[in-house]
Amino acid sequence: VYQVFESVAKKYDVMNDSMTLGIHRVWKDILMHKMNPSPGTLLLDVAGGTGDIAFRFINYVSSVRERQLQRKLKHRQNLSWQEIFESYQKDKFNSLGDSRVVVCDINREMLKVGKQKAQHLGYSEGLSWVLGNAEELPFDNDKFDVYTIAFGIRNVTRIDLALQEAYRVLKPGGRFLCLEFSHVSNPLLSRLYDLYSFQVIPVLGEVIAGDWKSYQYLVESIRRFPPQEELKAMIEDAGFFKVDYENLNFGIVAIHSGFKL
Amino acid sequence: VRCQHYPPLRALQASAVLRRASDEHKKEPFTSSSQQHFESPPAGHQPEQEPQGPRPSYTGQGGQESEDYESEEQLQHRILTAALEFVPEHGWTAEAIAEGAKTLGLSVAAAGMFHSDGSELILHFVSGCNAKLSKLLEKEQKLVQLGEAEKKPIDEFLRHAVEARLRMLIPYIEKWPQALSVLLLPRNIPSSLNLLTSMIDDIWHYAGDQSTDFNWYTRRAVLTGIYNTTELVMMQDSSPDFEDTWRFLENRVADAMTMSSTASQVQSTGEAVVQGLMGAAVTVSN
Repeated sequence: VYQVFESVAKKYDVMNDSMTLGIHRVWKDILMHKMNPSPGTLLLDVAGGTGDIAFRFINYVSSVRERQLQRKLKHRQNLSWQEIFESYQKDKFNSLGDSRVVVCDINREMLKVGKQKAQHLGYSEGLSWVLGNAEELPFDNDKFDVYTIAFGIRNVTRIDLALQEAYRVLKPGGRFLCLEFSHVSNPLLSRLYDLYSFQVIPVLGEVIAGDWKSYQYLVESIRRFPPQEELKAMIEDAGFFKVDYENLNFGIVAIHSGFKL
Repeated sequence: VRCQHYPPLRALQASAVLRRASDEHKKEPFTSSSQQHFESPPAGHQPEQEPQGPRPSYTGQGGQESEDYESEEQLQHRILTAALEFVPEHGWTAEAIAEGAKTLGLSVAAAGMFHSDGSELILHFVSGCNAKLSKLLEKEQKLVQLGEAEKKPIDEFLRHAVEARLRMLIPYIEKWPQALSVLLLPRNIPSSLNLLTSMIDDIWHYAGDQSTDFNWYTRRAVLTGIYNTTELVMMQDSSPDFEDTWRFLENRVADAMTMSSTASQVQSTGEAVVQGLMGAAVTVSN
């Protein structure tokens, strides 16, 4: 798995766009919307190498924070100018509202690409990049508010261990979110999807990234991954409550959610 | 496709947050109303979703003593109750729920268990108010039965009940219009309508209404109309202690009383007229 991603790291984003025809952006947006994080949330994004989820999180939280600040200002109509000035100063330097995201990935190359992207796009605060294995996270218990793993869990050898680790590092009340390719139940769509996956994607892999094998591996790993209900059962076994899933695009992708209660 | 799941049997010892039922030292004031009085309701009213009782005990690993744990629903009710205190500041939103979760020692992400528009919070509040009203009316009824209080005439009773119920909105009055609009969302209408009708039923029950006939509908419709219009008036009332609202309420109740006596007057006049005509017809034929 490590080698697959080593070769894939640099072209990862480009391949994502071409394989999914850009829809992956929408999927990730939907995930963020579902999370609906409030300022002050501590997010752990596992297998989040190039930072897509992390950047969306920061955007979301800063816009929520902005609205919060505007509302607070409106309520301060009756204060003296001095007080308004002071409190405004205090808040201005807290544009993220203490929210932070830690991006964890097993692959150094992916993290490197992510850091470069962050610099390029101008994300400076609230981000940390940590090298780590999803089956054995280098974090203490009860630390994070939200744990996400977007298109990463199918690459984990022992999914149950990863889920247990997720449970461990989440605070009580914390949320587990998993965005992953899943099974299409509609037979017609399933055939079209298979056709696309096995014929088109490896070809794109060869043309864009010069790597047929990795993308063939990708498509096969998607097929081998447990379907929605099975994954839900595994998440429950790890101890999560209120586990449910939402199919996107008829099951091509699914978002699983669970709470540590 | 969304999928909800309530697992039958799981090692709840692993649960980090769900408390044991024995830990709850204080009875929840806002448990979903269990006192719903219905006399032969014409349309099948289903009671609002009630919190499940503690689930059956489980034996833990290592032969531990089994304890009853609270269910997820009970935890959700606790979070919503805690969230109410933050409504004046944040409105009926997921933010208020997040703050509420924080006070219980949970992560703010727990607010993700609920809808992002705050529907559940509002419904929880309404059902809690209805329960409070029921308890109040029941207490007063007991006093009357024990002879310690006078039985109120019906118009005064209705005024008192509606005013008591609307006064519960006062701490949240600024954000209540927002709540009303959320309650009118198509998704929420079944629940909010249900809560409204059961509250009206309750009031009529304690007012001493035993009818099962046609009047059942008219009485409920009339009182529902009075309640809704008074609520709307209250939204934009700025008089001290809402005295304008209570005066409006008094007038509406008085109208309703006149209307019903007018109706019965019309009926008896009608009968008298018919009898007169019959008499005249008989006289003429002779």
